[in-house]
Amino acid sequence: MNLLQHLINGLILGHAYALVAIGWTVLLGVARLVNFGHGQIYMLGAFVTWWAVARLGLPYPVAIGFAIGAGLLLGLIMQAAMLRLTFEQDLVSIMIVTLGFGHVMRGVAGLVFGGNPQVLETPLSYVDFELGGAWITGQDVMIVVVAIAVFALLRFGLERGALGRTARMVAEDPKLAQLAGIDVRRVYFSVFAFEGAAVALAAALVAPRTPILTNIGFEEVIITFVVVVLGGIGSVGGSYVAGVALGMFTALFGGFVSPAYASTAAFGLLILVLVLRPGGFALGARAGR
Amino acid sequence: MTGALRLAALLVSAVVVFLLPAQVPALYGAFTVIAILAVAAYGLDIVLSDLGEVSLAHTVFFAAGAYATGLLATRAGAGSWATLGAALLAGVAIALLLGLITLRLREFVFSLVTYAATVVAAALAHNWNFLGGSDGVSGIPTFDLSIGPLALTARNDAELWPFAFALLLVTLYAVRQFRRSRPGAMAMMVHLNPRLATMSGIDVRRVRLGIFVLSALFSAAAGWLYAYQRAYVGPDLFETYFLVLMLTAVVIIGKRLLLGPLLGTALIIGQERFLSFGGDVNAVILGGALIVALAFLPGGLASAFTGLAARVSTKKDPREDVVDA
Repeated sequence: MNLLQHLINGLILGHAYALVAIGWTVLLGVARLVNFGHGQIYMLGAFVTWWAVARLGLPYPVAIGFAIGAGLLLGLIMQAAMLRLTFEQDLVSIMIVTLGFGHVMRGVAGLVFGGNPQVLETPLSYVDFELGGAWITGQDVMIVVVAIAVFALLRFGLERGALGRTARMVAEDPKLAQLAGIDVRRVYFSVFAFEGAAVALAAALVAPRTPILTNIGFEEVIITFVVVVLGGIGSVGGSYVAGVALGMFTALFGGFVSPAYASTAAFGLLILVLVLRPGGFALGARAGR
Repeated sequence: MTGALRLAALLVSAVVVFLLPAQVPALYGAFTVIAILAVAAYGLDIVLSDLGEVSLAHTVFFAAGAYATGLLATRAGAGSWATLGAALLAGVAIALLLGLITLRLREFVFSLVTYAATVVAAALAHNWNFLGGSDGVSGIPTFDLSIGPLALTARNDAELWPFAFALLLVTLYAVRQFRRSRPGAMAMMVHLNPRLATMSGIDVRRVRLGIFVLSALFSAAAGWLYAYQRAYVGPDLFETYFLVLMLTAVVIIGKRLLLGPLLGTALIIGQERFLSFGGDVNAVILGGALIVALAFLPGGLASAFTGLAARVSTKKDPREDVVDA
């Protein structure tokens, strides 16, 4: 493969990473919450999309809607279980509970969808065209377009609008926000629902690129960590840049060094950044948090 | 209960537990595995309960001990004393490296990096031929701790049980002493009030690093015995199953209770061995128990029971029922 193919591949991969990570970026930025079940929601989103297309025979866009609905529901269930812990700001317990949810989701996926790897075929993956000697599919283009759309929407909605102000106030001081008349509960529920729905959307779009297994969540989550930390924790713009940069890095590393150790190299990058710049490379004023 | 009575009760129950499998031989396997995995969980317990951080890398220390044992025993023909030393060394080396990297990290960034370390270790174990790759290391020879004329070998679970029991007792004693020691007190201070700790002249980073490394010793020692128990070491040791098992064992009974992780491990392994519904349902039960324990039972099962007991016996002063750790 030539360099251009790797670069284009990296660009697509990078947008996929950014899209997978966006739910967590918002979760951290708005609610100061974490979700170690993130990778498993991705896995379930992929399975639900596959199931709706292959088993129910639904068209792909409807299947995406199914996945988003499932992710949204999962997010609401998780937040409902953790409401007391969230108000106590008991981050230690929240982290462990989300890991527990991840384990449950893996068990449920095994029960419902079985242990066999599945392949999701979408109409867009058959559309391919050449760009300067490199091949890309319609599915790849869609990932890039949707990622850019979601990020633009968030950047202007969350970081500029009134909704963003409310969310930031809750993140800074939930008690003060409550005194100011903000329904903090609703903010927490919406943020977790968004996290679930965003990961599921990402899964519905990205999963057709790889086989779907019940254990794909385990490795998926490390990429999200790296994107979130590199981007400056909670920064929407930062995580977009970090996602694309990481995609480039992984594609080039996988192409020229070793594909098996790509996630190990990403981890090495994370360590390097944490040692050199603990705040990551945030674009906005929220750096260093 | 007075101190002497308490000690006597503990001694009697320890003897009963030790002798029980001899009466019901079907219990040997479960009891040995419970003892081993409980020791691994105590490593995590120290970091979680005393330092207040969620380490997701203790499966790596556990696996490091197991891999060091498996590789040395099969390729260099090392005896069990040598593999014990190597297992502890491997655990300490990795903990030191990871501890230095995470020295300045707190809360979720700490957990995130330790989790990433587990994912990377799993990738290494799967792909590096030196570690046996996806096939792992099989054919680990029998356990042999013989010193001179004293023969100490174990070929099966029944013969391994006394050693697992001894390792468990050593671990329980060490954890108890640690909590009463100066480093243990410093750990609690660093956990509950890091600023006060700094003002009292405690080097917070050194205490954190020291406890992280100490905790790895327990998990690595458990990995050492687990390698002999299974006679096989493979990348499956890095699966989230072991991680969730250790976490559940630590929190389900209640944090900072000396016997908590042991009883927690016993509950989980007991369910899997004697009341199993298949791997997927077991995963749902294990993860569900973890969620319920933390989200709906603050203080774990222990405080739920004492709360219930206090409500039933209204005549008694409820303060008597408070469990002292």
